[in-house]
Amino acid sequence: MGFLLASVRKDLRRWTQDKTALLIWLGIPFLIGGLITSMVDGGGGSPTGVLLIADQDDSLLSGFIVGAYSQDQLGDLLIVEQVSVEEGEARISDGDASGFLTIPEGFQDAFLDETPVTLTLKTNPSQTILPGIIEDVTEILLDAGFYAQRLLGPEIKEIQNSGFDAMPADAFVAGISVDIQHKIDAVMPKLSPLLFDIEIVEPPPKEPTPDIALLFLPGIALMAVLFSANGLAADYWQERDAGTLRRLVSAPGALMQFVVGKALAALVLIAAIVAITLCIGFVYHGVAWTKFFSSLLWVSLGGVGLYAWFAALQMLFPNNHAANLMTTILLFPLMMAGGSFFPLAALPDWIADIGRLSPNGYVVDRLSTELTAPDAWSIDLRSWLTLLAMTVSGLALSTWRLRSGFARK
Amino acid sequence: MLNVEQLVKQYGDFTAVDDVSFSAKAGSVFGLLGPNGAGKSTAINCISGLLTPTTGRITVSGHDVVKDGKAARQSLGVVPQELALYEDLPAIDNLRYWGKAYGLRGKQLDDRVSDVLDHIGLADRARDLPKEFSGGMKRRLNFGCGVVHQPEVLLLDEPTVGVDPQSRAKLFDLVEAARDAGACVLYTTHYMEEAERLCDSLAIIDHGKIIAEGTVAELKAQLGARDALQLNGAFPADTTREAVMSLAPDIADLEILSQAEDALLLTLSSASQHLPRIFEAISRSGGSVSETSLRSPNLETLFLLLTGKELRE
Repeated sequence: MGFLLASVRKDLRRWTQDKTALLIWLGIPFLIGGLITSMVDGGGGSPTGVLLIADQDDSLLSGFIVGAYSQDQLGDLLIVEQVSVEEGEARISDGDASGFLTIPEGFQDAFLDETPVTLTLKTNPSQTILPGIIEDVTEILLDAGFYAQRLLGPEIKEIQNSGFDAMPADAFVAGISVDIQHKIDAVMPKLSPLLFDIEIVEPPPKEPTPDIALLFLPGIALMAVLFSANGLAADYWQERDAGTLRRLVSAPGALMQFVVGKALAALVLIAAIVAITLCIGFVYHGVAWTKFFSSLLWVSLGGVGLYAWFAALQMLFPNNHAANLMTTILLFPLMMAGGSFFPLAALPDWIADIGRLSPNGYVVDRLSTELTAPDAWSIDLRSWLTLLAMTVSGLALSTWRLRSGFARK
Repeated sequence: MLNVEQLVKQYGDFTAVDDVSFSAKAGSVFGLLGPNGAGKSTAINCISGLLTPTTGRITVSGHDVVKDGKAARQSLGVVPQELALYEDLPAIDNLRYWGKAYGLRGKQLDDRVSDVLDHIGLADRARDLPKEFSGGMKRRLNFGCGVVHQPEVLLLDEPTVGVDPQSRAKLFDLVEAARDAGACVLYTTHYMEEAERLCDSLAIIDHGKIIAEGTVAELKAQLGARDALQLNGAFPADTTREAVMSLAPDIADLEILSQAEDALLLTLSSASQHLPRIFEAISRSGGSVSETSLRSPNLETLFLLLTGKELRE
């Protein structure tokens, strides 16, 4: 036990001296993950645009149109600014807005008199989505106005003619109201009841759809784990080059403790890296902290398993450069198929199925489940045992390789 | 203490160690002297457990290194030819780590590490990293890591290769101190002056075989008073041998060890007295001498006598 702990301390002291490697193992996944998340998440907001309106009519109806662009969800997309014609022309020419709408003088009168009138809408050609929305909304408003004019034209005209210099008489308001009600009553039988039945079918209760950006977190965490596990595994070659493995083989019964000591040191370092990654992810995505420890334990154990297998693989190659090159090359397909660049859920099924069979994909898949499940500790016992078996077999293979000649050269 | 019986180590068709046997006692230094590639390191690697012998038996403090390897290795200390250090750990932590590998704990470990640091002259640099040390200091620390657990048998595989004279002298002191403390030291080298100074007994090995064995005095006695005379120049193949050997009746122990067109190696007694006659004979045979090297009897001369080649070839 004494030599085991000494081995853990020895490797932690050596590995933590290499601050650059630690920064790279953490930094690259964060850089890539940050870019991907920001692309998917869009910073958490919707695109907004500016609609410039020059209201030259300044009437009740033009005011209604101006106000309509700021209603409900449309108001989240568009910021409406009233401007003069000159200012509007200048700003839309500079690309400083998504659209510029001019409501000409006499618009309301023309509307009520059913004479042609032209609204001018200029859109920004460098934008695609928001100008389209503005055009559609404007057309809908005009259609609505047409039908309102058809139905309630006389009443609107009567209100217009009454003027607003003083409060309207109660009898006038009552009369107009009755007329409008009569017209609505006459129309309603044509609209309601509808001539078709509507059957409301309740869809089966679906599991809550997880935040798509959250699905990137397991892959990003495993990317950091893969980098660190591969880097730490290369230490066997460094020890061999330093001659310490030969001295180790001459010591009595120290080999297994040496291997396990290295794995425990790797566990501590990988757990620290994973903890930082998960902390940031949990805060960013608002994941319940009750899932933190289970997630940390799962990924750290997976990290040690990957470390053990990388170490065993590296020791199979004839020299340090070949070992490093091959495992580094292996990293990228593993990350690609294992959900580090794209969530497994977003990959084609057959690729995702292959990815789940890769060791890192296996860890990513279960971690995704843990993060999106209603409760913590949702990963089943079989998965834990599988991961443990992978780790133990990797360590056994490493020990065998050390005994079978790697340490003696 | 250390017994090697009929040790053979083969790699395919190549036999690196061929039927080697020797034994070394506690409180003594046993040397394995031979040129590079003679099989010294292979023999040491078999003793230390790095290699498994093809055949033969090795016991350390009575424990068979193959059948009872753990107990045998517990009694062994190894100072490998190449450095075996953690250059990114302080010197004291290197010693503590290897002490723990051999089961030292607590106060015993602290005391031993402190003693070894004093012994190897690194007490004032204990907290420094080996990567900041000179080559000689690293060699001393390498030695310290091999003896921190006070092994009964200490294997030193060419420990002075690439070491400056001052550090070499310090290493000699360390080896002698280990011997005086009762350790059995197996020391391999291809420097005959090291073997002459340190070894109580030794074996000369070449091509995997032991070609001579005994104390330094016994081995020198095999030479008698013969010197080795190395001549460089031009030596016609057909006439030189006949001309030189014509002197044999008058020069005691005259023998041609090797002959080439440009080199001639002779052994003879009192060589300095016979040089003019030898030069004259060579001249008569149509040859010429451009360079002469005369060596008095020592282990290197013995190696020349036994193998016909230089120890450091």
